[in-house]
Amino acid sequence: MMADARVTHNVVVPAVEQPLAPEMEAEPITQPGVEVAPVGRARRRDRAVAGDRWIARVLRAGAVVSGGMFVVSLGLEALPQSENVHVAIDLLRKGAASLLLVTPVARLAVAGTLLGLKGEWRYTVIAAGVLGLLGIAVSAGLPT
Amino acid sequence: MIAGGLAGSLGAMLGIGGGIVLVPALVLLFDIPLEEAVPASLMCVVANSCAAAAGYVHNRLSDIRLGLTLELSTVLGAIAGGLVAAMVAPAMVAVVFGLFTLYVALQMLLVRAPRQEPATLDDYAPTNYPLGISGSFVAGGLSALLGVGGGPLKVPLMSYGMRVPFKVASATSNLMIGVTGAASVAAYALRGHLKLALVSPLVVGVLGGAYVGSMLMPKVPTSVLKKLFALVLLVVASQMLWKGGAGLWPNMLK
Repeated sequence: MMADARVTHNVVVPAVEQPLAPEMEAEPITQPGVEVAPVGRARRRDRAVAGDRWIARVLRAGAVVSGGMFVVSLGLEALPQSENVHVAIDLLRKGAASLLLVTPVARLAVAGTLLGLKGEWRYTVIAAGVLGLLGIAVSAGLPT
Repeated sequence: MIAGGLAGSLGAMLGIGGGIVLVPALVLLFDIPLEEAVPASLMCVVANSCAAAAGYVHNRLSDIRLGLTLELSTVLGAIAGGLVAAMVAPAMVAVVFGLFTLYVALQMLLVRAPRQEPATLDDYAPTNYPLGISGSFVAGGLSALLGVGGGPLKVPLMSYGMRVPFKVASATSNLMIGVTGAASVAAYALRGHLKLALVSPLVVGVLGGAYVGSMLMPKVPTSVLKKLFALVLLVVASQMLWKGGAGLWPNMLK
């Protein structure tokens, strides 16, 4: 009922679509504050999405490749057992486990780097701090 | 592989890693010694985190900045917990943690949340960072002292303490647990406790389960996820109270 109405100073004024002057509609808006802000925001959002996609790619690649290596190692168990098969299974599993363990660390490094490239250095420092602390904890044998 | 799949899907949906399913399953159903089951379960937590978080980050459901911030305080807390482990009685800590978890679980089950949750990452801003950071520090310390994973504490902390949507909280928790899990597995592997023959089928199952769980999570209503999470918390609480009470219960969770 009142959907197309504006209220100003307690007076209900019906909303009327005011068409722009022809010259305004014809010419591009060049005032910096009008156009640059939305474009800049969209560019920042696009960069954030691209950064997230890189992080997702690192995680997915680690999961898929190490999962594939574990699957192949399980498949090799069905073959007749020999020294070569044992060595291959062992190598595949060690490689898959190492890759899986490195993946979250790589994700952390990629996230810190990408956020740093976007100017968010605070998160780069945090990521570096987490990596450094984890390194200290693992080398000291502390539980995390 | 089936146990891994179940653990993976539950862990991916709730952001808890899945150790709560895997360790009891391995110990009680497959007669695997606890000292082999825990590192294998931790490896599955890492696999779960990688597989599920890939989808969550791609869909911008995980909050990377929040995750990084809380990760730092969690690791600091874990190191502090490891340093003071010799000075505190783990049974007492387990009882306190068990009672707290029981309180959170009952609150989630019985009290209806008054606020409507936004659906996407863009519709919210985390609040109360001091609480989140100090809570993560405590979660890290408890994880080192009791062997519990951070997820059961960090998801309610982010969701209720920092006003982060529940799904974002579990997706962010999923992202975070991979790093600390990897460090814990590395420590076990250096001591020779990681059995890759046991890990291989589990990880394959967990990766499949985590993929399914991460596909399901955005579609499952938040209220259902909260109820599931509350049930998981009840299990954690009972295990902690048992462990604290008897002083004998093995280090079941991560």
